[in-house]
Amino acid sequence: MSELFGLSMTYIMIALLCVLAVALATVGYVLVRNRIMFMVGVRNIPRRRAQTVLIIIGLMLSTLIIATAFSIGDTVEYSITNQAYDRLHSIDEVVQAATDSENNDPFVGAGLVSPLPIPEGQAAQFTESFREMDGVDGALPLLRAPVPVSNAAKGQTEPLAILMGLDTSQMAGFESDIETTAGERVTLDALAEREIYVNEAAAEELDVAPGDVLTLYVGGEPHEFTAKAIVKDRVLTGALFGQANGLAMPLDRAQALFGREGEVDMIVVSNDGGVRAGMERSDEITDRLNEKMFGTAWQAAPSKKDVVDSASETSSFMVTFFVVLGLFSIAAGMMLIFLIFVMLAAERKTEMGMIRAVGTKRNHLVQMFMSEGMVYNVGAAAVGCLLGIAVSMVMIDIMARMFAEFDLSIRFHVTPRSLVVSYSVGVVLTFLTVTFSSWRIGALNIVSAIRDVPDPPAAHERPNDGHGLRGMLRIAKWLIVKPSTWRQWLGGAGILILAPVQAALVVVCFMAADAIYGTSAAGGVLAVLLGVIGGTFAVSAFVTLLLGLNYIFQAGTMAMVLGALLIVLGLHWEQAAPYAGGITLALLGLALTLVQLGAPNRPVFTTMGIALLVYWLLAAGAHIPPDLDGGIELFFLSGISMVLSATFVLVYNADLMLGLFTRLGAVSAGLVPSIRTAVAYPLANKFRTGMTIAMISLVMFALVMMSTMNSNFDKLFDDEDAQGGYDVVVTENPANPIADLRAALADAPPPSATATPFDPGVIARVDSLSVANGISARVSNAGGEQDFKAWPIYGLTPGFIEGNGLKFQARATGYDSDAAVWEAIAADPGLAVVDAFAIPGDGFNDPGAFSVDGIEPTDKTFDPVTLTIHDSATGRTRDITLIGVLTTRASGLYTGLFISPEAFTSTFERPESTVHFVKLNEGADANTAARGIERTLLAQGVQADSLRQLIDDFRAQSQAFLYLIQGFMGIGLFVGIAAVGVIAFRTVVERRQQIGMLRAIGYSRRAVAISFIMESSFTALLGIVSGIALALLLAYQLVNTDDFVPGGVDSFYIPWVQIVAVGGFAFLASLIMTIIPSRQASSIPIAEALRYE
Amino acid sequence: MSLSTEPAAVAAQAPAVDLIIDARDVVKTYRTDDVVVNALRGVSISVKRGEMVAIMGPSGCGKTTLLNCLSGLDSIDGGLILINGEDINKMSDNKRTEFRARQMGFVFQFYNLLPVLSAVENVELPLLVSGTKVREAREKAESALDLVSLRDWAKHKPSQLSGGQRQRVTIARALVNRPAIVWGDEPTGDLDTENASAIMDLIVGLNQRHAQTFVIVTHAPEVAARCHRIVHMKDGQIVREELLNGATR
Repeated sequence: MSELFGLSMTYIMIALLCVLAVALATVGYVLVRNRIMFMVGVRNIPRRRAQTVLIIIGLMLSTLIIATAFSIGDTVEYSITNQAYDRLHSIDEVVQAATDSENNDPFVGAGLVSPLPIPEGQAAQFTESFREMDGVDGALPLLRAPVPVSNAAKGQTEPLAILMGLDTSQMAGFESDIETTAGERVTLDALAEREIYVNEAAAEELDVAPGDVLTLYVGGEPHEFTAKAIVKDRVLTGALFGQANGLAMPLDRAQALFGREGEVDMIVVSNDGGVRAGMERSDEITDRLNEKMFGTAWQAAPSKKDVVDSASETSSFMVTFFVVLGLFSIAAGMMLIFLIFVMLAAERKTEMGMIRAVGTKRNHLVQMFMSEGMVYNVGAAAVGCLLGIAVSMVMIDIMARMFAEFDLSIRFHVTPRSLVVSYSVGVVLTFLTVTFSSWRIGALNIVSAIRDVPDPPAAHERPNDGHGLRGMLRIAKWLIVKPSTWRQWLGGAGILILAPVQAALVVVCFMAADAIYGTSAAGGVLAVLLGVIGGTFAVSAFVTLLLGLNYIFQAGTMAMVLGALLIVLGLHWEQAAPYAGGITLALLGLALTLVQLGAPNRPVFTTMGIALLVYWLLAAGAHIPPDLDGGIELFFLSGISMVLSATFVLVYNADLMLGLFTRLGAVSAGLVPSIRTAVAYPLANKFRTGMTIAMISLVMFALVMMSTMNSNFDKLFDDEDAQGGYDVVVTENPANPIADLRAALADAPPPSATATPFDPGVIARVDSLSVANGISARVSNAGGEQDFKAWPIYGLTPGFIEGNGLKFQARATGYDSDAAVWEAIAADPGLAVVDAFAIPGDGFNDPGAFSVDGIEPTDKTFDPVTLTIHDSATGRTRDITLIGVLTTRASGLYTGLFISPEAFTSTFERPESTVHFVKLNEGADANTAARGIERTLLAQGVQADSLRQLIDDFRAQSQAFLYLIQGFMGIGLFVGIAAVGVIAFRTVVERRQQIGMLRAIGYSRRAVAISFIMESSFTALLGIVSGIALALLLAYQLVNTDDFVPGGVDSFYIPWVQIVAVGGFAFLASLIMTIIPSRQASSIPIAEALRYE
Repeated sequence: MSLSTEPAAVAAQAPAVDLIIDARDVVKTYRTDDVVVNALRGVSISVKRGEMVAIMGPSGCGKTTLLNCLSGLDSIDGGLILINGEDINKMSDNKRTEFRARQMGFVFQFYNLLPVLSAVENVELPLLVSGTKVREAREKAESALDLVSLRDWAKHKPSQLSGGQRQRVTIARALVNRPAIVWGDEPTGDLDTENASAIMDLIVGLNQRHAQTFVIVTHAPEVAARCHRIVHMKDGQIVREELLNGATR
């Protein structure tokens, strides 16, 4: 992967290495200046090996997720780029009909027929002038035609192959493009009159060997050719992207075969410098090619560079996508690191107290933990990188199978640069978390630490002197601010002043980075470094601001004020994230303030938790105003806020579950003592229990949410509406147009003597749509500066308008029913309808795709919208008025802009091809009918599919991809599982003496072990159940909003199998993590345990 | 007031039928890497039902080890220990645990209460592990707390109690099962003089009322002085015994 977020990966790597060096140097400084602190920290590592392993697991997860994302990105880029170099080979630029837009790649997803062929004489002039240009070593005119092919001897048929006709006299510069699979170069001149080259993909599909006779059907007429040789899959041998089956023959014979003498479809240009190096000058050469063609209807495009750039963008998107999906896991991982260090500090509290007592300072403790953490860190990140590669290899293997049918060969590839970046990000992230944790735990009361008793409460007692107004004012002041002396005020102000200073440094760093980026390689590195430093200052400024405010203000008041500020900003910007975040913060602040005033914790935090849960659920369901905008960030914010709220409710009320557990225990009296201790400990350690519940809950929430939303989205297409009232779609081959499908079926000879003839009687109705050429057809919102973009455009036919069963999710004002829309379109050629995907929504949208302005996904009615359609081949433009938006269900198959027959003809003249929609009689099988139609119209090369089958295949593919994503997100579960393990190991150590006592008073080994297992189960179960419940509640609210699908879903679908599988796995894994420590606990020698201090 | 005798002679004179604890030639050796520590070197001791015995001696003489071995908390390398006539070292771990739960109570120097449970919950634990029903266990635990004058503190967690109160909770926990023997390892070691005296008053009172056997390891002469007999140990052996407070063999 060469770029991320628009920045060079090399620069990012160098900058991160600098930051890594700073982190390592910090620990190096400790080693040199305070060797004893370093050694104290490091020598703790081998003390408990099992615990060390768990800590490494906890610390490596962030790196694992990042390394996996980068490896996938590298692989995707490598695979697409490799295919681009392999297929385009010598071709660097392509000249064809001008498209008036950036998207004009002739080999990727566009039309198969050139909308504006180049007259051969014109092409000859072009090629001659091109070849004279500096940097160009070849220019070749070619004809490209789709054609059905069969290999009668082997009984194999392929409805679509691309036949390339190449001018043999102008092959200079492209000699290496046509070579046999054995690597032997061959020339088209070597082909006899009825011979043809077959590419590898077509040979495999049709089971062709050299010497086999192939039948090509042109205009329904068979033409036989002998396969001279099997050649490599290249664009010049008909292998496009996504459609690899191809054939090649000399240009003149191809022209004669298709009756297209005197014209070519395009000219391909090869630059000096070979397959890869030639691309470097592509932009400059493209400009000069276009200068040569200035004023004509044709233009050049840097095709190879476009594909390679697009590969880089795709891989960058994949990395971002996977990192974003992994954010929950990364957040949970950082929580785990914090928890681990808090627990380590708790274990060593007495030691730390002693260390402080003999004269060391707080920062020495920070150095001690930082050193230990860094040693874990450098090892854990390396393990994380290696495991990330392993995980990505598994994922890529699955992806390779999924993408195989899309003609993309995915091969694992990871660059050392990506590994260095993953490692550095992992180490730096962990270093920052460890440093923060160390700083937090360094603040201890020496006496309490030595005696291993809780720290005394902070000295911010409620003032009780003064009465009346004065007393109230004193209490109000106490509620708002902490300082009681000028010295304390100045201290707080001093910290606060640092925040704007750092903010100024952020601006300076970013401005300097912006100024020097792109000036040179060194400038690029320096710019990224400045960006990282600026980012660090930004984080530091934010933390400093919070610290300063926390120094001066009481936490509750501060949270309420910040919350109120966010609410105002959210309303001002009309953004839901700051508004909802503000509500959350304000309620949290209110709870803290009430507790500060002396209100009991349980009712306050329970009420706050429930209130926040209700708020988030109602807001997600659009049940409460205001209606604000929001994107993917709301998913994270809602997840974290709801998990936090539920965790508060659970940890402050879990003792109520004690009754339930005890009743459960009553069934087996022997379990009661185990249950008693199993529940009591987690309840007593609220912070630790809460963190663990939150970690597990967060990851479960993300997984269940993803799974439930996807399942409900998938169910949308499990509906007859998705088929639009038809059963079979028949796509014709552009080389063999079919004007009347019924007639063609009736006239066609039986496919073979033995095959069952297709019975046209099963057909109830046939309607059709005209397809505009994908290369030249464009659409834009009307008015202003028009930005024409590619989007499928179909010409409706009277039959389709009358016979379709498509429904609308939104209609223009004045149209009261779906029928009214269709009637209007039949009557007024200026009207049109569009699919739901052309209406932009929230989430991952392709900014390069066409989208309609003026209609929201939630609209049920809208003011008619004017669009402009354009055909670069004819040069015509026309305005049309949009009056309907198809349902999401139907948009899966019917994606595009549907215009009247008159508007189509007047703009595009003729269709590239026609798609026929067949409605079958009751009881007829769509798959059987599709196979029958395809077999009967073999000579025409039609492709017939059951619409239901297409939908099911699409659903299966998207589900498979989503399972893959869920599997990736599931890595985060290991964070929760590791947390359960870490805590279980720690508790055995912490409670050694208590275990001895329990054994002394009569707890059997089994009772001790069960108690430990139940304790971990209790925590894991709370996290799992809370994550599942929150996700299902939120998903229920979301799928019933108009944002998901107008009108909401008919019924809410819960993917229980997936949920139970994931929840069960998490629970079992947590149990397994507890088995070893529980066995340790049960086998502790009693007398030894009682002596333990 | 006291009568000194040689330990071997005392053991030989002990009438077997009256004994609740009968230990003979008990040997316990600890091995760590290259270091071998002979903690008990053929100790013989017998205790009558209802007797209060103090074990004294310098640090490292084997007092706590002897208590741990006698109570079945630790295994022995040689000799014989009979509790109520049963050889506890021949019992399986489960049976020994059950035996401990029904026959013994423990009072430790540092209380060893579970910090996450309230006083009454701590006290009822031995009942629950013995299979007593939850409600009955709670009633008995409250009665036991009543016995040590802590009924009003039943719902408090150990961290909310003073040292003396915690030790009384420990005593309530030790007595709640009405065990035949209560083992005390420095029960007043972490208390001031006043609290220590109060705890000993309580223990002596309970011993007199319920005729339970107490074996107490202590450094404190004033604690030992409240017992019927003092057993002095040195270097893993009993070197001397004293009969006190009118006790007879």
